[in-house]
Amino acid sequence: MDDWLLFLHVLSAFLLVITVVMYSAVALGGTLGGRATFIADRCWEVGGLGTLILGVWLALKLDEYGIFDGWIIGALVLWLVATGLGETVRKQLAEARDGGGTVTTGAVTTLHWLRTLTVLALLVLMIWKPGA
Amino acid sequence: MKFSMFLHVLSAMTLVGTLVLAATSVAADNHRLGYRALLWGAIPSWIVMRVAAQWVFSEEGWDEVDPEPAWIGIGFATSESTFLLIIAATVCAWRAVKRGRGDGLRTAVLVLLALVLVAYLVAIWAMTTKPT
Repeated sequence: MDDWLLFLHVLSAFLLVITVVMYSAVALGGTLGGRATFIADRCWEVGGLGTLILGVWLALKLDEYGIFDGWIIGALVLWLVATGLGETVRKQLAEARDGGGTVTTGAVTTLHWLRTLTVLALLVLMIWKPGA
Repeated sequence: MKFSMFLHVLSAMTLVGTLVLAATSVAADNHRLGYRALLWGAIPSWIVMRVAAQWVFSEEGWDEVDPEPAWIGIGFATSESTFLLIIAATVCAWRAVKRGRGDGLRTAVLVLLALVLVAYLVAIWAMTTKPT
């Protein structure tokens, strides 16, 4: 049971990185079609929910970790920041696309790279687990 | 030990992300982005993932364990066999870019990438649940 929870938690994290990679292509000047953008956005939503729910579930279930451990609180804060940034990037890109303007602007690109750094910081916390 | 694991997981996530980017781009007839994602994203990510895997393998002393656990065998088998499939998909995507149309090459890339992604799903399962 715990193994499967961990598998699905890690799989959800892979989905988050799929979105980050796909939006990075846009930030670097590539063009994603409507279907690709749809897939990237769904990966972000499913991955976000999966990492949060399964991560909290694992923290509550496993004896060696507690939900109030510093690194887990840090991960929850980073998750919130990444979600906020990701949602802003998604909305602004959708508005730019619907308005027929340029798909990427400097501000959206900056927000995307901030989201990327936040996801990277989440991975650092998950691997090093400081204080655990 | 943690840095090698961090590098292994990060490159594996980037590898899967670039493969999905390539698959969605080729499916949308954006062969150039698909080809670039494979050449500049997937292949370098695979190399870093594989080198870091070997680093973790040595650091954690798995090279002295006999017989080798099944999950390690699954990891090596999937990573090495899929590299050939990624190379083949990259060559097909390159040919599609040169021809300016996909046709059979588009299908070939999609089938190859689907096989690789299924193999990686098995690998992620093996790495997290560690079946013996």
